[in-house]
Amino acid sequence: MDGPSSKIGLFVWDQGGRLGRAIDLAFLLENLSRAKGIGHCSIVEDPLAPGGLSPVTEGLEKGEFGRVLWVGPFSLEQQEVLRQQLAKAGLNPFLQEWCDLEEQGVCDGEVDQEARQRKALVLVQMALARTRLLEPLVPVEIPASQSVLIVGAGVAGLHAAVSLARLGKRVHLVEKESGVGGKVASLHRFYPRLCDPLCGLEFALQALIGSEMVEFHTLSRVTSVDGGRGNFHVRLTKAPRYVSEDRCNGCGECSRVCPVAIPLTSEGHRSKEYLHALTVRAIHPASPMPFPSAYVIERAYCPPDCEECLKACPSSAVNLEQEPRELELSVGAIIVATGWDPYPLNRVEEFGYGAYPNVITNLDMERVLSSNNRPPRTIGFVQCVGSRDDRHLPYCSSVCCSVTLKQVLYLKQKAPDAHCYVFYQDIRSPGFQEELYQKLKETEGVTFVRGMPSTVRPHGDTGRLRLRVEDTLSGREVNIEVDLLVLAGGMIPSRESEELAGILGLPRNSLGFFESHLQCHPEESQRSGIYVAGCCREPMNVAASIESARHAAMEALPFLNGSVLIKPMYPVVDKTKCDKCKRCMEECPFGSFYFDEDGFPTPHLGRCRQCGNCVGICPLGAISLRHLTMKQMAAQIQAASASFMGKEEPTVLAFLCQNDAYWAAREAVKRGMGVPPNVLFIKVPCAGYVNNALIADALALGIDGVLIAGCEDGQCHYVKGNQLVRKRSDDLSDKLRKMMIEPDRVRFVNLEIRDSAKYAKVMRLFVQELKAMGLNPFKI
Amino acid sequence: MPPKVDREKCDGCKAQQEPLCEQVCPGDLMTLGEDGKAYCRMPRDCWDCMSCTKACPVGAIETRIPYQLGYHVAKLIPLMGTNTITWTCIDINGKVERFRYVNRGRLD
Repeated sequence: MDGPSSKIGLFVWDQGGRLGRAIDLAFLLENLSRAKGIGHCSIVEDPLAPGGLSPVTEGLEKGEFGRVLWVGPFSLEQQEVLRQQLAKAGLNPFLQEWCDLEEQGVCDGEVDQEARQRKALVLVQMALARTRLLEPLVPVEIPASQSVLIVGAGVAGLHAAVSLARLGKRVHLVEKESGVGGKVASLHRFYPRLCDPLCGLEFALQALIGSEMVEFHTLSRVTSVDGGRGNFHVRLTKAPRYVSEDRCNGCGECSRVCPVAIPLTSEGHRSKEYLHALTVRAIHPASPMPFPSAYVIERAYCPPDCEECLKACPSSAVNLEQEPRELELSVGAIIVATGWDPYPLNRVEEFGYGAYPNVITNLDMERVLSSNNRPPRTIGFVQCVGSRDDRHLPYCSSVCCSVTLKQVLYLKQKAPDAHCYVFYQDIRSPGFQEELYQKLKETEGVTFVRGMPSTVRPHGDTGRLRLRVEDTLSGREVNIEVDLLVLAGGMIPSRESEELAGILGLPRNSLGFFESHLQCHPEESQRSGIYVAGCCREPMNVAASIESARHAAMEALPFLNGSVLIKPMYPVVDKTKCDKCKRCMEECPFGSFYFDEDGFPTPHLGRCRQCGNCVGICPLGAISLRHLTMKQMAAQIQAASASFMGKEEPTVLAFLCQNDAYWAAREAVKRGMGVPPNVLFIKVPCAGYVNNALIADALALGIDGVLIAGCEDGQCHYVKGNQLVRKRSDDLSDKLRKMMIEPDRVRFVNLEIRDSAKYAKVMRLFVQELKAMGLNPFKI
Repeated sequence: MPPKVDREKCDGCKAQQEPLCEQVCPGDLMTLGEDGKAYCRMPRDCWDCMSCTKACPVGAIETRIPYQLGYHVAKLIPLMGTNTITWTCIDINGKVERFRYVNRGRLD
């Protein structure tokens, strides 16, 4: 750094005169003016008032200093204002540092004035040590693609596509089936308004067909993805359709001559009785919805050498020799909407699914309802089949109760004399659907039985089923005969979700659904630039799927603007130190590391979320965040080692996660909750940032106790930073034990943002215990 | 005396091709066993340079002091800081001494 610009301008803002009352500011400034690298040192009036910044801008112009350290209680907003204002005066925003003495407890009136004075000095010196090592940084702009990939053209995928196409983004919609629509297209009615789902889907589809921005890739699968947000490179494989999409006009002549009929029943089910009419020809319109309008041939069912369709086609669109095609796309963001599969009910043996022809799933029931045949007279519905059950699915699929209510209602409209029995454990009808439940309870011919059938047996040769149920409300055993038994099975993530998880490297939870921060950022997956919408994230109904799809589209939008601005706080790997142990690669919660051409792990700027967990994990300390380097940290810790409380008092250095623990600590001091004055803290982006070498530094330099505060388990903003650092500090404790140092000198606590009282208590206890332990033996 | 590997702690550096102790050993003595844990394959050739002990990211390696220098209670344990090594030296009578050294190499 050349001469004057490496000098530091130090400005103290004594807001409300609190600092001046607590410590002797003149004495502090006199001490600091002699510190290394100080170019200017003074007290300023409110720098945010009009003209208040003039001492700073003048100093910058004269070249007295080239970086600024502010001492005072600046809020995050005020810091941002100062950054912007001084940027106008030519100061890089990353050459400023803030030091708040108040939040560290310097104004605590119960502490001896001398100690306060010394603590203030140590704190400013820590900040100075960091300021000296600051570097000017500029954001990195990476060019980005303006198109988006949506995987799955079900109700979620289609609505996401509509949103994005309307905003003028190019959409690639990938679907594994021959037509769009997904599971919803096979439903008969959907609640709450009981209209035909095809109407709603058609509405979305019309919007897409009219738009030039959308490209449909049916019968396609994603085979590989690389790159990061803004620049994903995607490969697709398109299975042959055997019918030219350009030539086929959907006249249907081919279907008429096709000799093969394929039954449409659920997998592993031999029932044809109620579903017999539902077959398609081997050459049939695209399904679930006939869009694209071209027909498709299921070649697996074709008899050998049959060429009937080829001969019949008037526009010679049939091509039986079509080959699979590969396709490459470049997209800025990916929305995954791979949906759900029904839980395979043949695994639930007790209700006779698969054994008796008139036991069907609720999805089959949709088909029964949509056929023109008269529905059977007595129908039983069993809720929670395989759901909320340790042997099958531990969770509630949240929609099946409403689905059954809807089916019962529709059934009663169609055949008012039909009798329905609903066997349930609990009816879960959230929100307004309770109304539907209450209405059905009043309806004649609908009986709700609280209890699951214990046996399901055929009743003689009548073809009916005899159920034995214990009604747990009356405590009586009842025998009921039904013509048809409908099992309400749960939702599991679709097979494609599993496949795609491998390709995209998307983490899934223990139930197989894609992981996301289910609360604040439900659509954000754990990979930057990839969003999850609909039932592949958690079971939800159609309305919620549409909502989540629209939300995912909004979230993806920032990466579709032609360029992505990356904050310059990303990690860099020191190649002279790195020995390619790949721990950073293993532990990065967002999978952002890749090998560069020399085989060194390198963070992908587009994928990185700048949490610093790689910094913490590196056994050699070879990784640094650019605005929070290991060197800056080490210098800060070194400055902290000066004892300020007197010889006999222990010093505690705390590393606080800036998302939660920092705010808890700040509040604890502000409200005077009795945080001991022995504590100094340093903000880190995530508890996982804290490298063992930093803790070792602190202990070796004579700091008596080190405390790391991270989030509660499962609340870490960066997935698992808190767990990673805890594991590492356990390793360190073992080592300390061997070295005859009390391992309790390093401890880890979980703090939530409101845990101020807990913070104060933990600190009081810690200081007490440290006093009992005696001074750090490393005070050499 | 060869380095002793704590088999519970050693994670074989996540089963990568070369664990850190193997990379750093000047005699190329450390290697991964079939169980994925590091071990010293030729104990007699070890110079007690302690490189592996310093390098191990999970603190699983301990260098045993040669008996000419100290009996089994004696220990020499490094604690690696960003730019310092702090040694704890425990002799056979349990007397503890500590030393701190600043690395002389490049700082960053």
